[in-house]
Order: sequence, then C-alpha cells, then structure tokens
Amino acid sequence: MTAIETHELSKRYRRVSALTECSVTVPEGRVCALVGPNGAGKTTLLRLLAGLARPTAGTASVLGGAPRQNPAFLAGIGFLAQEIPLYRRFTAEDHIRIGAHLNPRWDAGLARARLEELRIPLDQRVGTLSGGQRAQVALALTLAKRPRLLLLDEPFAALDPLARRNFLATLAMAMAEAAGDLTVVLSSHLVTDLERVCDHIILLAGSLVQLCGDIDTLLAEHKVLVGPRKDIAPIERAHKVVQTAATARQSTLFVHLNGPVIDPAYQAEDVTLEELVLAYMGADEASAGRHLSTVGEGS
Amino acid sequence: MTWLVWRQYRAQGAIAAALLAAAAAVILADGFQIASHWHAILVRCSGSSTCLQQQSALANGVVSDLPYISLIVPAVLGMLWGAPLVAHELEARTSDFAWTQSVTRTRWLTVKAGWLLLAAAACGGAVTALTTWWSGPENARFASAFEPGHFDTQGIVPVGYAVFAMALGIAAGTVARRTLPAIAVVLGGFIALRLVISDFLRQHYMAAVTTYYNVTGAFTPTGQAWVLAQGGVSPTGRVVPTGWGDLYPALPASCRQLLPGTPGAKSGASLNAVFSCMRAHGWRGFATYQPASRYWPFQGIEAGIYLLLAAALIAGTFVIIRRRDA
Repeated sequence: MTAIETHELSKRYRRVSALTECSVTVPEGRVCALVGPNGAGKTTLLRLLAGLARPTAGTASVLGGAPRQNPAFLAGIGFLAQEIPLYRRFTAEDHIRIGAHLNPRWDAGLARARLEELRIPLDQRVGTLSGGQRAQVALALTLAKRPRLLLLDEPFAALDPLARRNFLATLAMAMAEAAGDLTVVLSSHLVTDLERVCDHIILLAGSLVQLCGDIDTLLAEHKVLVGPRKDIAPIERAHKVVQTAATARQSTLFVHLNGPVIDPAYQAEDVTLEELVLAYMGADEASAGRHLSTVGEGS
Repeated sequence: MTWLVWRQYRAQGAIAAALLAAAAAVILADGFQIASHWHAILVRCSGSSTCLQQQSALANGVVSDLPYISLIVPAVLGMLWGAPLVAHELEARTSDFAWTQSVTRTRWLTVKAGWLLLAAAACGGAVTALTTWWSGPENARFASAFEPGHFDTQGIVPVGYAVFAMALGIAAGTVARRTLPAIAVVLGGFIALRLVISDFLRQHYMAAVTTYYNVTGAFTPTGQAWVLAQGGVSPTGRVVPTGWGDLYPALPASCRQLLPGTPGAKSGASLNAVFSCMRAHGWRGFATYQPASRYWPFQGIEAGIYLLLAAALIAGTFVIIRRRDA
C-alpha cells in the first residue's frame, strides 16, 4: 500500500510557482528523505500533504484519501513545521494536556518519558527553553499523537549533533514499534544525516521533482563512468547521462544506466547518495550544488 | 478544545474580571451617591417641576462620562481578544500546531470564537447592567434615555456592540493575518459604524411622529421621547427649526419688530407678543420625535443590526478559515 501518491500536484502563490506537476509515490512503512535547495518546494509539498495548504492543480492521496478537514484524516498525520510552532507561554505539560484533549490516540506517557529522558523541564514555559529543547518538545508532541504518517520539515535545523543522534534513535524506535504502520517523510539539507535512516528519496529542485524512488535501487541504477575523452553520443543513446565533467584527457559521466555498459573504455564506479543528489541538483542548475550543504548547515 | 480555550485565556480572563470588578466598584459607589442625592431632591421638591429644574446636575466632570464604559469595553475586547484570535496564531505559526491536531479548523473556530463571543456578550451585559442602573436618576430627571449618547450606553445595545466588535476583530484578523492591522480595523470600523448608525440610521428605524401645536403654547412629548426636530411652520408650509437665528429672518416684518432688543423694536415688544403675532399670521409649532414607547423596540432593532452584522462576519471567517491555506 502507498502512504503517499501525488499526481501532477501543483501549487502557485500568486505568480510564483512553488511546486510544479509533482508526481511522487512513497510506499507505506518507508522513511523518505525530501531533499532540495532552498525554495525548491519541500515545505510546500509537506504542507499540501498535511492538508494545511490546498493544491492549485493536481491531486494527492495521503493514507488512502485526499488531505482534508476530517478528524480521522488529521489523526493519522503528524506534522512538524520548520518554525517549531508551540505556544511560547505554555509549558510542555500544557501542550501534552492540549494534545490529550484534541487527539484520539494520544500517548501522554510517551511524550513525558521522552522529555524526562532528555532532561527537558515539563513545567517551564516553552518560550524560555533553548531552540534545541523546543524542537525536542515539538517532536515528542508530534510522536505522542501516534500518527501513521510523520511529516517533518527540517527537523534537524535546530538540533546539535548529539540531539540529532537522539532524534534519529527516537525515530528508529517509533518505526520499530509501529511495525510497518508508520511512514516518515523528512526534509533536510543534510544528506549524510538522511543516509543513515532513509530508504526512499524525493529530490526537488526549482519546484520540480528531479528524482523519486527507493534509495538502494537508485544507487544501483546510477554509475559514474570514467573514461578517455571522446564522443559521448553512443553512451547517451543507450543510457541517460545526468551530468558530465571533463578534463583535457579524461571525461567523467554521471549516468542513469539502462542496462550494462558495453564500451570497455569506460570504468564504472558506484555512486554515493550524496553524489546522486548533487548530480541531479547540478542537472537542474549548474550552481545548485552550492545550495546543498553536506556539513551541518544551520537552516 | 474548550480546555485549550480555557488555558489560552484564563490569565487574560482573570485580568479582565478584576478590571471589570474595579469598574463595577466605582460605578456602584458613585451610583449609590447619585441615587441618594436624587432621592433627597425628590423629597425637597415634593413634585414641583420648577423646583426640580433649579437643582444642580446629578453628576459632574469625569463621573458623568462613566456610562461610556459600555462603549469602551466592547471596543477594547474586540481589539485585544478578537483581533488576535486567528491573526496571532498565524503570526506565531501556532496555527500549524493547532490545525494539525485531530480537530478540524471548523471545530477549532467554532469552539474558540464561540466562547470569546459569549465572553464579549457577558462583559457587554455586565457593563450595560451597571451603566443602566447608574443612569436611572439621570433618566428620571432629564427624560434623556432615548437621546443619542444615552441610548447607546444603556439597555441591550451594548451587548450587540460587544458581540459585533469581537466578531469584527476575529474577521479582520483572519483576513489581514496580522494582529496590528486587525486592531486598527476594529477601532476604525467600530467607531465609523457607530457614527453612521447613531447619527443617520437610528432615527429611521420607524417613521418619526410629527405633532403640530399652537405656537403660543408649548409641547413636550410624554416620557423619554427622542425629539429629532422642533420649531415653527409658516402658513406656506415652510419648516423652520427652533432658534432665533433661523426663525428671525423667516418671520413677517411685523412680527420681527416685536422681538425685544432688535433694531427698530416696537414698544411693548416681548417674546409672547412675537408668538401671538406668529399665531395671527398662521404659524404653527411642530415637533418631530420618536415616542417613548419605542425605546425598547429601537433597542431591539439596533442590537439586532449589530448581532446580524456579527453573524455575517463570523460566517465569512468560517469560509476563509476552511478554504484558505494556513
């Protein structure tokens, strides 16, 4: 069963296109990385899936139906916005009690246990907590809802490396506990962080989907071909060349394979997730690589 | 949902209750003083109306402005509670939290706006109860309850104002998505609408009654009537309001000469002589007014107008909240 299936989903804000004909599929039980440079449409896609925004065109099917204002649909969605929206004057305990009043499957014990484990005070106004602590509170609340689909917009942005590891551990635990009934989509700039947990990827650039699929399959289908500098037309006919780079004597081709490479002049090398992401962002615009940081960018 | 509303507003509610209690203490203390003063006057004058006319005012200075609290409270509630109701959630992005719980936006708004509108009605009701009671002696003495400025601060209309101002704040905040502009809209909108209604619309709720009378006599509508216009009507049907500035040029020359103090005034000039002269020339007195019996129907109509407008604003808010992106 698919957790998410969109068909030519588009969103325009006045004259700006935030998302263009986005067609993606995420099977149930996956952890899906949503990557792309700033302004690529990651947040827009997540908000459309959560039912917080309405598409201009196209359709989305989330947990078996269109995102809608319906308690049952909303109960299945756990959404955490990038801005970490919490009531600053309320304590974490207040939020836990609000959640208990507003959600049918609320697990207050889970949220309390997690925050106590992280030594985050439950009785202190959320506004007085550090940014990282606030993010942990918001995350604990999102998980306490026991959603079937977790949509996390830049969850690492406010977390230090240790907190990141804590968060990923919690996420892994939630996944194990849900036994295949939990799907996660998390957007981030940090490919290295995502690599550890994600088994699915959606790459957005310039409001378009560049890549969508199972990470292992995609890595197997892509190779870097290194060979002498010569006409690449034969390769282009057989495979999809994503990116090319050349020195005086040698050319490097990033290709999506369509069968085996016959030309023995080329040496095929495996690609990493980071290389895959960079290649497709570079395919969209030459400078896209600059936007994608692999070393803990703040936002 | 109700618990969320309670948690969000309990501190502000306590402050509002304390302020209202303080205002009530002032109004009650002053009201009892005025009431006893009024009773003393009644006893002293024992029914003589000339004696009553000669007594000093019942309330002076700042105290006489007390009833305006029943206009101020609705406006303040609309600005401080209505405007931020949706706008602040959008500004602080807490709408992303509230609207991704297992509660639809419709229900969220129903419960939140519902309680706040009820609170506005309750606060409006409390202040108007106080000011209506406080104004009792003044109403009895000047028969002024129907007059603009008094009508607006007593009876049930302040409840309508309070509910309307709250609804305006909620709707403006939803459209503007920002608290500050919404506050400005509440202040401007409330004042403007009140001006339009009290100065232009209210007098037309029902067709006014016009009574013609003998100019040498006098006419005062019974009870707390609202006199819209009073003056003289010439034999040709020309209507001239009371006041010599308007009346004098319109009078026949022979009558003008009877007005004391005018150049070329005849001997034996007096106001009574002028009136007699006017009567002889076929002038009549007229008074256009809303009779006292219409006080409560007018209160009902005006409160109804504000409540209907509030309902329309809230209905619009629901449409926007449900359809627009968060």
